[in-house]
Amino acid sequence: MSMFRNFSKEILWVLGAFLAIVFVGLFVDHPWPKDFLTSLFAFGLLAMSLNLLIGFAGMVSFGHAAYFAMGGYCFGLLLQSTSFTGSLGPYSVPLAIILAVFGTGVYAAAVGAICARLNEIYFAFLTLAFQMFLYSVILSWVDLTGGDQGLMGGIPRPLFLGIDLSQALDRYVFCAGLFCLCILFLRIIDKSAFGQSLRMIRDNQERAEFLGVRTYRIKVICFTIAGMIASVGGIILALFTSGAYPEWAFWAQSGEAIFMIMLGGSTVFVGPILGAVLLRLINDVVQMYTSHNELVTGIVILLVVLGLRRGILDFVIDKIKDRREAKFLADLEAKKEDQ
Amino acid sequence: MIEFEALANCASSGACIVNQVTSGLIIGMLLFLVASGLTLIFGVLNIINFAHGSFYMMGAYVAFTAYALTGNYFIAAIFGAIGAGLLGVFFERFIISRVYGQNVLLQLLVCYAFILIMDDVVKLVWGAEYLAMGIPDEFRLAPIRLFGGFIPPLYIFLIITAVVIGFGAMLLIAKTRFGSIVRAIAENPSMVGALGIRVPLYLALLFAIGCALAGVAGALAAPVRSLTPGMGLGILVESFIVTVIGGMGSIPGAFFAALILGLTRAVGSIGFPLFVDGAMFMMMALVLIFKPTGLLGGGGVKR
Amino acid sequence: MLEINGLVKKFGGVTATNDVSMSFAEGSLSAVIGPNGAGKTTLFNQITGHLLPDQGEILLNGENLVGLKPREIVAKGLGRAFQVASIFPTFSVLDALMSSVSAHEMKSEKLFQPFDNKVVRERAEQLLAVLGLESVGHVASSKISHGDQKVLDIGLALALKPRVLLLDEPTAGMGPDERWQMVRTVQRLWEDNNLTLIFIEHDMDIVFEIAQHIHVLRYGALIASGNADEIRTNEEVIEAYLGRELEEDA
Ligand SMILES: Nc1ncnc2c1ncn2[C@@H]1O[C@H](COP(=O)(O)OP(=O)(O)OP(=O)(O)O)[C@@H](O)[C@H]1O
Ligand SMILES: [Mg+2]
Repeated sequence: MSMFRNFSKEILWVLGAFLAIVFVGLFVDHPWPKDFLTSLFAFGLLAMSLNLLIGFAGMVSFGHAAYFAMGGYCFGLLLQSTSFTGSLGPYSVPLAIILAVFGTGVYAAAVGAICARLNEIYFAFLTLAFQMFLYSVILSWVDLTGGDQGLMGGIPRPLFLGIDLSQALDRYVFCAGLFCLCILFLRIIDKSAFGQSLRMIRDNQERAEFLGVRTYRIKVICFTIAGMIASVGGIILALFTSGAYPEWAFWAQSGEAIFMIMLGGSTVFVGPILGAVLLRLINDVVQMYTSHNELVTGIVILLVVLGLRRGILDFVIDKIKDRREAKFLADLEAKKEDQ
Repeated sequence: MIEFEALANCASSGACIVNQVTSGLIIGMLLFLVASGLTLIFGVLNIINFAHGSFYMMGAYVAFTAYALTGNYFIAAIFGAIGAGLLGVFFERFIISRVYGQNVLLQLLVCYAFILIMDDVVKLVWGAEYLAMGIPDEFRLAPIRLFGGFIPPLYIFLIITAVVIGFGAMLLIAKTRFGSIVRAIAENPSMVGALGIRVPLYLALLFAIGCALAGVAGALAAPVRSLTPGMGLGILVESFIVTVIGGMGSIPGAFFAALILGLTRAVGSIGFPLFVDGAMFMMMALVLIFKPTGLLGGGGVKR
Repeated sequence: MLEINGLVKKFGGVTATNDVSMSFAEGSLSAVIGPNGAGKTTLFNQITGHLLPDQGEILLNGENLVGLKPREIVAKGLGRAFQVASIFPTFSVLDALMSSVSAHEMKSEKLFQPFDNKVVRERAEQLLAVLGLESVGHVASSKISHGDQKVLDIGLALALKPRVLLLDEPTAGMGPDERWQMVRTVQRLWEDNNLTLIFIEHDMDIVFEIAQHIHVLRYGALIASGNADEIRTNEEVIEAYLGRELEEDA
C-alpha cells in the first residue's frame, strides 16, 4: 500500500484526467470527440510506450508497432475463437486482454533479449527487421490472420461486469480506463528508481554499469514493458475498429510513432501525446487538400527535423532551462567578483 | 511444416535443381549488390542508410523508362545506376549530411521522410500500378541447357554482372587512391581535412557509389521483378539481414551471406514456403547471438 | 588489501601490461606513474573488470576479481573515476549523485519505489557538500566546469561507499591552481573516508608530495616501487622517466 502513498499525486492526476475524459463522453453528443479521443488513446499509448524506449532509455526502436499490432491481433483472434468465448463466457474479454498483453510481453522479451546488447544503429535496424518479420507472418498466414484483408467479420465482445463494449459510450469509457491505467503506470515508472536507471543508461551506459546498474537486464525489462503497453494500444484500436489490420504492423506505423515523439518532445512526459494529436491534425488537414499525403507528411517531417531538431515541448523546456541556468551562472559569477 | 516430399521430388530432378539454384543465385547476387552499397556507406560514415531501398526502387524505375525510350537494356541499366547515384548525392548533401554524428532518432526520421517522399514521387510519375519491363530484346535468346534444366541467358548475365560490379566496388575501396582517401576519412576525418582534401566531396561521392550499387541492382532486377512504389522496403530489410550475417563493413561477408540467403529462399520456396522469412530471421538471430560481429565482420556491433 | 600478481595483457603486438605485481595496503594512498602509453589506464581497466587480463590474478582481500563483471567488482567495494570525466550529461549534479546513491541502495530495478526520497536526497546533499559542489547542484552536469566534472565523477564513485578508490588522472587538463585544489580534495576524501586510494598522475610534484607509495610503469612493466625518496633516487626511474626533469630541478 505504500505504493499508493508514494505515488498519490500521480494517481490523483490521472484520476482527474480520467474523469474529465468521461465527462466529455457523457455530455458531448456528437461522436467526433469520442472517436478522435479513442483513436488518440490507441496511438497515444503506442507513442508513449515507444518513448519509454527512446526518451527514457535512449533505445531507438524502429519496430515498435509490431507489439501494437500483436496486441490487436491476439485480442481479436482470441475473441473470434468460439471455443474461447464459449468456455469463458463473461470472463472472455478481460481474459483476452490479459492474455494478449502477456503474450505480446513474452514475444517482446525474446526480441528484446536479442536486441538489447547491440549498439544504437544495429538496435534500430534489428527491431525494424523483427517488425517486418511479424508483418510477413501476418500477410502469409492467411488462414489465421486473414492476410492482407485483416481480421474480418467483427470481434465479438461478450458482456462482462455490466459493461457492453458494443455500446459506443461503454466502449469509450472502457478504453479511456485502459488508457489512463497505462499512463499511470508509465508515470510511476517515470518517477521511480527504475525510470532513473533508464535515464542513466541513456546518458552514459558505461558509467551506469560501473555504478552497479544491471544495464542489460534493465533494458530487456524496459523493452518488454514498452511492448506490453503498446499492445494495450493495439487492443484499444481493435475494440474501436472491431478488427485488426496488417497496416498496424507495417514499418510506416513505427516511423509515424517515432515522428509523434519527435514532434511532441521526448524529454517531456506528455510530449508523445501532444505529438500524436498534432500528427493526427496534420494528417486530417493534408487529406482535405491532397491525396498525396505521404509526400506532404515527408516534407513536414524534414522541415521539423532539420529545422527544429527536437520536439516542440523539448524546445520550450530547453529555452526555460537555458534561461534559468544562464541567470544562475551569472549570479554565481557576480558573487565571486564581489568577494 | 517442412514439405519433405516436394523437396525430395525436386532433388531427384536435374531440371528442378538447376532452376532453384539459378533463382537462388539471382536473388542472392542482386541482394549482394544492394547490401554492398549499404555496407560501403556504413563502413565509412558509420550510418545505416535506412532509405537505401528507395535508391533500389529509383534504379528500377529509371531503367524502366530508359528502356522504354532507348530499347537498349544495357543503357537502361547504366541510367538506373546514374539516376540512383545522382539522387544519392542530393540526399547526402541536402538531407543526411545535416544529421551526421547526431542522434540516431534524427537520422531515422529523415530517412523515413525520404522514403515516404520517394514512394509518393514514384506514384506521381509512374503511377501506383504494378509495372513490368519484360525480358529485354537483347536477351530473347534460346535458353542454355544444363543437366536437363533450362537457364535463360539473361539470368547468367544478371548473376555475372552483379558479382563483377560488387567486387569491383570492393577493389575500388581497397586498391585505388579514392579508396585509400575514403578509408582515411573513416579513421580520422579532421586529419584528412587538414591535409587539404575536400572531405564532404568524397563523402558525397562515396554515398553516390553506394546508392548507385542499389540503383544498378534495381535496374538489373527490372526485367525479372515487378515494379511498384514501396518495393524498396523488402529489399532493404533483406540486405540488412545480409550485412548482419556477413558482418557490417565487409563486402566478401555480404557476398557469402547473400549467397546463403538466396539459396535458402530458393530451397525454401519449395520446402517450407510459409517459413522462408522465418528461416532468414532465424539465421540472423543465431548469428547475432553467437557471433554478433557477423561471419566475416570486424567489430562495432555492441555498444 | 588489494594485491596484483603476475598480470599480463596484450593488445595484438603491444604488451600493455607485462607481468605486473604490486600490492596496496589497507588505508594507503598510492600513486601509479609512468610515461604516456605506459599501461596505467589499462591496469585500472583490468582491476575494475573493464578488460579481461590474459594472465595473472587480482586479489581483493584474498578474493580473485578476474572474470567478474564491472558491477560485481563495484559491489565488492571497489570504485573508480575516469581519465575523461564519465558523467551523465543531462542530469543536474544533484540528480547524478542521487542516482548513484540510489543505485548503491540496490534500487535501480525497483519499479514502484520513488526515485526521489528523503534518504537518497539527504545522502546526495551530504556528498554535494563534501565535494564542494553545492553552488552548482542544480546545474546540468554538461554545463559545469571541467574541474567540477572531474570532482563529480569522483563523487559518483564515492556515493557507492567504496573501500578502494581508483582515480585515473584526477587532475588531467587542469590549470595549476585548480590542480592543487583537486589534490587537496582528494587528500581530504582519503582521510575522511578511510579509503585505500590509488591514483594515476603525471605531475611529479603532486605525486612526491602526497603519495605514500609510488609504482612506476614503463612499456607495461613495473620498473620500480617505493616511497618518494626511493623513487626519486632510483637509477632506472631517473633514466627511463625522470631524467630530464630531475636535472632541470638540480
Ligand atoms: N583497447 C585497446 N586496444 C588496443 N590497444 C590499447 C587499448 N587500450 C590501450 N591500448 C594500448 O595499450 C598501451 C597502454 O595504454 P594506456 O591507455 O593504458 O596508457 P596510459 O599509461 O594510461 O597512458 P596515458 O598517460 O596517455 O593515459 C598503449 O600503447 C595503448 O595504445
Ligand atoms: Mg591513461
